[in-house]
Amino acid sequence: MAEVSTVKAERPEHLHHHFVSSEQQFDAAKMGMWLFLVTEILLFSGMFVAYTVFRIWYPEVFSHSAELLNWRLGGLNTIVLLASSFTVAMGVHYAQTNERKKLVRALILTIFFASIFMVVKYFEYTGKFAHGVFPGINFNPHGTAGGLDYAAYNIPFAAQFFSIYFVMTGIHGLHVLIGIGLFTWLVIRANKGHFSSEYYTPVEITGLYWHLVDIIWIFLFPLLYLI
Amino acid sequence: MAHAEHHVTPIKTLIQVFLALIALTVITVVAARMELGPLNVPIALTIAIVKASFVVVIFMALKNDNRMNAVIFLVGAVFVVVFLTLTLFDTAYRGDLPNTVKGTIMEEQAEADALKARDPGPRPTPPNQ
Repeated sequence: MAEVSTVKAERPEHLHHHFVSSEQQFDAAKMGMWLFLVTEILLFSGMFVAYTVFRIWYPEVFSHSAELLNWRLGGLNTIVLLASSFTVAMGVHYAQTNERKKLVRALILTIFFASIFMVVKYFEYTGKFAHGVFPGINFNPHGTAGGLDYAAYNIPFAAQFFSIYFVMTGIHGLHVLIGIGLFTWLVIRANKGHFSSEYYTPVEITGLYWHLVDIIWIFLFPLLYLI
Repeated sequence: MAHAEHHVTPIKTLIQVFLALIALTVITVVAARMELGPLNVPIALTIAIVKASFVVVIFMALKNDNRMNAVIFLVGAVFVVVFLTLTLFDTAYRGDLPNTVKGTIMEEQAEADALKARDPGPRPTPPNQ
């Protein structure tokens, strides 16, 4: 039998049949995620535009209504999400340098920070509901808390501010929950050793998704809570 | 193999950017608590854009990435601006045209009918005159 040297490179397991190389697959995945992120940006833009239109029409109502939102909790949530973006970026770094345990730890920390965000939002929402601040037609502020007389905020178009607040932070919160789910899946896979410097695409693109969630909040916090 | 081409952001850079983001958050809050009047919104937005830029360029590594991804992101941002601008052109100038009348077309029609009922017009001429 003649010695035939087959130039059949061993295709890595993660490499799908329609890609020529791992590099091409990774680049395609990243570009696909960036395209998806643009759709996410435009999704939130719809709500930001609604906010802008109402803000321009009723600026004093919006500034005034924002006083009912706790900027300290909002600020805490901002720091928490920034920390989660930091731990995700660390995670990607550790995936690239084959440090599996540190990758798992970074992903777990990301979930931890994201969960703190959701807990804070839970207390914010229930606090608002307890004082009758609901989105839409059930808007009926009453009671006092923290030196604020909620009934005094029952002015025309304050309901619009809070509808926008609940919808924007609600859809953002949904994205945070989805992120927690995704990172949980990643932790399980990373723990099993599925990722290495050769293949860490899921970590990379979930990280990109998470950074966008953070960026949305970077804009939501000043626009809703501070100004 | 593959990983040789992937840019690995050093941990030190990540820490520096994180601390910068925290500092900018503090500045945002401090600036908002100060009564800056009409400057409030532009300042808050500018700081937010700077923070978002840090996240996009360093955390999302757009700086060291395939240029196409940056193009995709920037085109998306351009469309957000287009979206906002065109919407504001509409909402900011509503009610500007002088052809607006009080009430709906149906109400106007009902008013015209009521007036006609009050005054039926010229008397019909009697048959044998």
